[in-house]
Amino acid sequence: MAHREPRRLSRRQFAFLGTQAVGAVVTLLLGIPIVGFILSPLFHRQQAVWRQVGDISGVPDRQPTKFEVSFPLDEWTNANVNLAVYVVKINSNYLVFSNVCTHMQCPVRWQSDLGQFLCPCHGGLYDITGTNIGGPPPKPLPQYVHRIDGTTLFIQNSFTESI
Amino acid sequence: MGRIAAVYDWLDERAAIRSLVRKGLYEAVPVRGAWFYTLGSATLVLILLQLVTGIFLTLVYVPSVTEGWASLNYLKQHDAFGSIVRGIHLWSAYILLFVIGLHMVRTFFSGSYKRPRELNWVTGVGLFILVLVMAITGAFLPWDQAAYWTAVVVTNVPSYTPFIGSFIRALWRGGDFVGPITLTRTFGIHVWLVPAILFPLILAHLALLRKHGEFGSYINYRGAYRRREGVDVPPAPAQRPIEPPYPAVPTDELWAAPLETEDFFPFQTFKDGLVSVVLVIVVFLLAVAIGAPLEPIADPSTTSYTPVPEWFFLPLDELLLLVPQQLIPLVLVLPAGGVLLLLALPFIDRGPERNPFERPAVMVPGAFAVLFVVILTLLGSGRLFNL
Repeated sequence: MAHREPRRLSRRQFAFLGTQAVGAVVTLLLGIPIVGFILSPLFHRQQAVWRQVGDISGVPDRQPTKFEVSFPLDEWTNANVNLAVYVVKINSNYLVFSNVCTHMQCPVRWQSDLGQFLCPCHGGLYDITGTNIGGPPPKPLPQYVHRIDGTTLFIQNSFTESI
Repeated sequence: MGRIAAVYDWLDERAAIRSLVRKGLYEAVPVRGAWFYTLGSATLVLILLQLVTGIFLTLVYVPSVTEGWASLNYLKQHDAFGSIVRGIHLWSAYILLFVIGLHMVRTFFSGSYKRPRELNWVTGVGLFILVLVMAITGAFLPWDQAAYWTAVVVTNVPSYTPFIGSFIRALWRGGDFVGPITLTRTFGIHVWLVPAILFPLILAHLALLRKHGEFGSYINYRGAYRRREGVDVPPAPAQRPIEPPYPAVPTDELWAAPLETEDFFPFQTFKDGLVSVVLVIVVFLLAVAIGAPLEPIADPSTTSYTPVPEWFFLPLDELLLLVPQQLIPLVLVLPAGGVLLLLALPFIDRGPERNPFERPAVMVPGAFAVLFVVILTLLGSGRLFNL
């Protein structure tokens, strides 16, 4: 029977592994909360808030009309943020657009001389139904989730499709 | 022995300052073309200007969507000296971007990135990128219209990364849209995260510079004479004294040690100082005469404001305009590819030749890359400012 070599760590090997283990413990104890902290806003679900936009009975046919609506900022502040709403009446249907361009999220404006929505940053164009018809925007102009009670328009702080 | 000499001796015995001073001041640097080597020290001076003015700006600035703009508006209305400090911070940042770019072009042109100085180049590319990150994140902080729309567009660019784009955007913004957390995160990146990496990297860059010595330019080396007809190549290093840190026994004797050197102090420091003081005076005058602008507070509901990018963002903004909607990720791929090529440069261009006119395979693509960026900038400024 062959002599069995005792498999034990040398003092040097033990200290070598121990030093690395200490480093690993500190990295984990710091790393887990910090990474979680950085990621936490991603798991924070935005609360659905409804706001009244106003009476839209005066919105003329095929003339996009701008309203402004104040929503609470969804973090720790008491401040509100003003959002732009373009209400478009086509025959008896209403479309409720945001001013956020789907290319780089610049503020889109209605150009009555063009009969189109124009993004001033990179020249994106949308027609009156919000369809992206020119320039770089990859998607149609976003619409707010909304409801109409009689002639009063309400919107939610979210889009029908994510951009 | 004089009293000052006694203090010096006392300190030297305990902190070894004599050898530190000798090493710091009396190193050999190449003689010819030395005005070009002032770009590095000018970059350092401008970065230190950023550090000092940035520290003092935190005495008033509040990183908040409700108070950030108001704190700078207070500075503008009620604090003339504070406004100058903010002006210096802005204008030295603008000039820093320009000077660090020139420093990089100079290094590229002179072939100084070659063995054994590859890591000087790699750390330099890292510093260049970090300075760009500082410029972009700094542009968010005033939270005026210009800052807000810069924040919106810049944080939206990474959303075109395939698969994980909207995840990266949400990570930076702290949500789907730009808001209070976008500002606190960007402030943290600007004042702590990036500087905590940037300043140690500067120390590494300088330590490597001192380790290998300033390369200078090919005109300082025997290699420059090799192909000139009717001109004798100067004697090999074995026949003349070599100043440290240049190697006495070189691996490549044509390019190892400059033909003529002089002491860093006071010859190079005088040139460095002159260039830097001119830049500091220019920055100061711009800060007083023009200052840092502050537009009306951020307004996401605007339908009349036309966002104009910071001038250093113009090439990318022009790409955003030119790239068709199916190819938007190109806006990320082109700069990322450019950075990778820059990092790889010393490992691709490995021959010993330093003379830029003997290196067309590197100089021609490099010149085209610079031209590409310059043309994009000109196109962008022509479009935005009707030039």
